[in-house]
Amino acid sequence: MSTQTKSPEALSTDFKIDTSTHSLGLNKPQQVGGKLWLPMFAMALMAFAAGFIVSLIQASELSDNGVSDTTAALNHVKAGVMFIGFASVFSAITFAIARILGVFRSGGGEVQELAGRPVHTMKMPPTAKIMMGGMMMAMMLILIPVVLHFVYAADVSNTAASLELSEERFIVLEGFRRLGVAVYLASIAFGLATIIRVLRFQAIRIRELPQI
Amino acid sequence: MVARFEALTVPKPGEDYRTPSKQRQIGLLLAFVGVVLAAVTLIANIAAAGDVGDGTSTRETLAWSFGLTTTAFGTVKLGIAVILVGILVRLWFRVKAVQETLPHLKAQGDGSAGPTGTIDTGWGKARATNSVPDPLPIHKMAKTMWFPMLAMGFMALIAGLVVSLVAAGQSNTGSFNSAFAWAQGTQFLGEAMLLGGISFLLGSILAALRAGGGLVQESLGITVKTLKMPATAKAFVGLMALGVMLGVTQFVLYGYVAVNASNNPGAWFAWLGPLRELSLGLILAGIVLALYTIGTALSFQFGRIKEIVATGR
Repeated sequence: MSTQTKSPEALSTDFKIDTSTHSLGLNKPQQVGGKLWLPMFAMALMAFAAGFIVSLIQASELSDNGVSDTTAALNHVKAGVMFIGFASVFSAITFAIARILGVFRSGGGEVQELAGRPVHTMKMPPTAKIMMGGMMMAMMLILIPVVLHFVYAADVSNTAASLELSEERFIVLEGFRRLGVAVYLASIAFGLATIIRVLRFQAIRIRELPQI
Repeated sequence: MVARFEALTVPKPGEDYRTPSKQRQIGLLLAFVGVVLAAVTLIANIAAAGDVGDGTSTRETLAWSFGLTTTAFGTVKLGIAVILVGILVRLWFRVKAVQETLPHLKAQGDGSAGPTGTIDTGWGKARATNSVPDPLPIHKMAKTMWFPMLAMGFMALIAGLVVSLVAAGQSNTGSFNSAFAWAQGTQFLGEAMLLGGISFLLGSILAALRAGGGLVQESLGITVKTLKMPATAKAFVGLMALGVMLGVTQFVLYGYVAVNASNNPGAWFAWLGPLRELSLGLILAGIVLALYTIGTALSFQFGRIKEIVATGR
């Protein structure tokens, strides 16, 4: 060990921590994550199935009657429903990551407490805060276009100008939805990066327990 | 070859458990690059919307922006995969730390071995044995398959990007539809494979938790308790398999449309788009269940560590 480079955080106290005599248990986001992952998961599966069914109806309309106000409206509805599915499944993933972080936080605290040592609990790192902020931003980038898709679907009429406007609107909303997906995926990356930091903290803290 | 990429998931000899993770830094950088690429395509889409009256110009822009967006998603997913590799490395550091520390913390047991066989725990059914149980077939598969899936997925993604650029240059509608169909099918096959690779990495994490937990208990000379495969893990495997199969199916169907591009592809594109999204949605749903299972396995492990500290067995 002596030949290895000293890291900036070689002791658990080098991290930003809370010290207590008892395990701090789950924080608020972790409690929410534990409760909400399942409803989000269920909603995602329902939305994906519904979106696919709408697409089959639209395809049938297109092959029977060609492009019309109905197919243009269904195009908006289809995208809206599908992206409710994506927003839900990404939320479920984020909540499941929060649940894992909660297990590390409460479990790590309980082991230290049982060993009769001061309980060191890492404060929420910046990556976890970015995960939550990113999730909220991504949710807005997806859900606002979803709402607008439904609004625009109700606004299409069977004139060339209306169909062209509908297409324009669809293309712009598509760009925002896609950016929302990228931001969601990036916030998931930040959540997983937080797990790496927690694992590093725990590997350091566990080794300190017999020394005290 | 397999051994070479499996070596990526364990600490290198002499690697210090206190040093920050390189995989974490690389993964976050890739995620940032992906978001920037997606922002570029948003600008492209806004520009394309202004040209809707001029059909060819809009079509060209949307073709390359589709290719670039999907590549952006793939880049972030690759970043996630790199971070998951980092988690695997850190899990083995954690195993080593617990293995070194637990003998000093555990209570003096009465020396009697606990019962073996199936036992009930607060986290589901578990198996008690005297040694580390063999890895499950799905765990062996996960450890072998994560790298090829990621590599093939990213190659398909880049190939699809090139085809989308080719499509953007086509002035003939039939040629455009054909090239764009190939671009969509190929890129979403790549996306499905990337998510499949991520799923296999999550499976490898579950395998590492199982093997690592067993090694710690075996080294202490106590009963090895291992959580049986929970229902959520079984559903994860089912959803992932279904999603990847749909990913391959949409590729074949896009190929069919590309070959028969003159036969009203609009109706085909209308439902193939959601089909490819459904494929990714199912794999993502599987990933949710994999993460849930990881949380459960970790809870079980903390419970077992507390049991050892409190009772010594």
